Amino acid sequence: MLAWQPALSAVAWEPGSEPEPAVPGVPGSGTLPVLPALRDLLPRGALARGSVVSVAEFGLLCLALAAGASADGAWCGIAGVPEAGVLAAAGLGLDGERTLLVPDPGSAWPQVVASLLDGCELVLLRPPASAPAQVRQRLEATLRRRRGVLLVTGDWPGAQVRLRVITQGWTGLGDGHGRLRACCAEVLADGRGEAAMTRTRWLWLPAEDGTVAAADPVDVPIAGIPARGVWGDGRSLQDRGAQGGRPPGLAAVSAG
Amino acid sequence: MVVCCPQLCGLADARAAARLFDRVLAAVTRFCPKAEAVEPGVCAFAARGPARYYGGEAALAGQIIAALAGLGLESRVGVADGLFAARLAARGPRQVGLIPPGGSPEFLARHPVDVLADQDLAGLLTRLGLGTLGDLAALPFGDVAGRFGAAGEAAHRLASGHGSLPLAVRPPAEDLSVACEFDPPEALAEPVVFAAKALAERMHDGLAARGLTCVRVQVRAAWADGRESRRRWRHDGLLSAAAVADRVRWQLDGWHPAAQDGEPGTGGITTLRLVPDQVVRATGHQLALWGEAVVTDRVARAAMRVQAMLGHEAVLRPVHDGGRNVDEQVTHVPFGGKRTPRREPGQPWPGRIAGAAPGVVYPFGREAEVTDEAGRAVAVTGRCGLSAEPACLTVDGEPVRRVTGWAGPWPLSERWWDPVTARRRARFQLLTGDGRAWLAVVQDGRWLIEAGYW
Repeated sequence: MLAWQPALSAVAWEPGSEPEPAVPGVPGSGTLPVLPALRDLLPRGALARGSVVSVAEFGLLCLALAAGASADGAWCGIAGVPEAGVLAAAGLGLDGERTLLVPDPGSAWPQVVASLLDGCELVLLRPPASAPAQVRQRLEATLRRRRGVLLVTGDWPGAQVRLRVITQGWTGLGDGHGRLRACCAEVLADGRGEAAMTRTRWLWLPAEDGTVAAADPVDVPIAGIPARGVWGDGRSLQDRGAQGGRPPGLAAVSAG
Repeated sequence: MVVCCPQLCGLADARAAARLFDRVLAAVTRFCPKAEAVEPGVCAFAARGPARYYGGEAALAGQIIAALAGLGLESRVGVADGLFAARLAARGPRQVGLIPPGGSPEFLARHPVDVLADQDLAGLLTRLGLGTLGDLAALPFGDVAGRFGAAGEAAHRLASGHGSLPLAVRPPAEDLSVACEFDPPEALAEPVVFAAKALAERMHDGLAARGLTCVRVQVRAAWADGRESRRRWRHDGLLSAAAVADRVRWQLDGWHPAAQDGEPGTGGITTLRLVPDQVVRATGHQLALWGEAVVTDRVARAAMRVQAMLGHEAVLRPVHDGGRNVDEQVTHVPFGGKRTPRREPGQPWPGRIAGAAPGVVYPFGREAEVTDEAGRAVAVTGRCGLSAEPACLTVDGEPVRRVTGWAGPWPLSERWWDPVTARRRARFQLLTGDGRAWLAVVQDGRWLIEAGYW
């Protein structure tokens, strides 16, 4: 059922990093796969089993990180996020059939997460309260024993990899017309050990078809300038300047 | 097998009929515990098992008639493959009408169409020249369904000898639950869990001996101080005795945590009872259909463990649903429940917002204020005219954000025919200076943020 992925050629080879021991995603290997566009951000191009990845806040980036493993057959648990956008997640690649949602884990959330790790290979968690060191260590021990991956939103001092979205800009909305189409985001990754070097990448998160793709630097709208200046077809401001300030055609005005 | 007491059918005094019929049912239940009452004066049950026991269908029928004669009632018996054919056989010329297995279509073919319960359809069929059930059964099913609709489908199925509804079992009089007493009361959970395994095996054997399986198991544990813990566990046939023992352990663990209200039950456990709930005929375990994700035991255990801690509704699985609003497009079903959408997911649903799906969908809208350059709230008229362009967005106590792009209003008027649930809203997509986008909805002058795109 697991599609064989030619992972060794697709992994971004960073000089000095060790080669992948086995095909990602196959049980027994040390990692869970991620979407191709995100591989550049993670050490070894995948999520290492037994590790904690922290994302600054809950959003499409978290769901995108989980989507690769889910599409490959892993079960995902989402704990502590009643507002998870499942439809957007499905567009990114997360399989709703293999998702468990626990919107309110309550005060016993470490036990809940430990139980979820029994069944799910990847757990996305927004802790209701910041965890003391002892709780974190116990969860990390469970994580290593179960060889799962924990994606935490917010601060987690022991996280191996930390990701956050620095800038984002949506295309498609104008001054009273259009609709949201795609978002271009700059994602920064750093962490400890292998991930210590800071990396940033521009991604379409999501692209117009709902998936995640690497953004070509030419298409990137100027960071910090909101979408008011971006036309519905995603052309960047440099192109636009040449044609003067023409609003996009009425074809963009159709809102579902 | 259908047992019909013509004296009771159509008796003027309904209560006397009901009382007599109750005695009839009791008498029939002695021969077959799974008797179903069809209507006053008529009861039915699956005869294969009892017939083998009593030495043949004719012998069984004879004994039943004799038993009912003892109550002073005349009865007639019909035996056939399906309920409909058996009822007609009971009305036949002989007191015991036996239709051989597979002979129902031939037997039914001779009958006129007005034996069908649906008299309107029967009249129509007669006028169209289809006089007997055999004529109806000879037509292609698709054509009958297309011309006559659901009523025609049902009639065609009956006429061909297939039953219309499966026989529902009457719950047997005896209690199928199994219990175990602990004397002296057991303070530790382990011996109770150990006993639960043996108990579960006994319960399964008891159910299987009656050809039954249960959909839910209720575990009841009573403590010496009088407290009782009851919890229903879903039982799909996947649960072995060991799995039931696991659930007992989780239930006992779940009852003891400090987070629960009050102190845990003191004094030890005195009784453990397993009660099968929602008993149905065992038809064999249905495997997951192609395309459905198979829930492995490991995942089911983990999910049920969390359900033991937090409650059945705490672990959910998403199901794609139909609907116009972003919060309607996904339904959350508790783990173990049937994953059916509330609305039609595949249909167009005009009024839906096309384009990117929001990464954050708030279950309850967040209060917000959308103001124009001058600080006045932006309002939308009934004709979707805006009072002014939105310039600032304040969400729920967060700092003010500048609106840098917007689109809307996209009006939606739902359930206009019902004054209680009717609502008219206008939706906007707002882009703010920090690069985030918001789905803002205005209804009755109030702004709410329903979803966020980031």
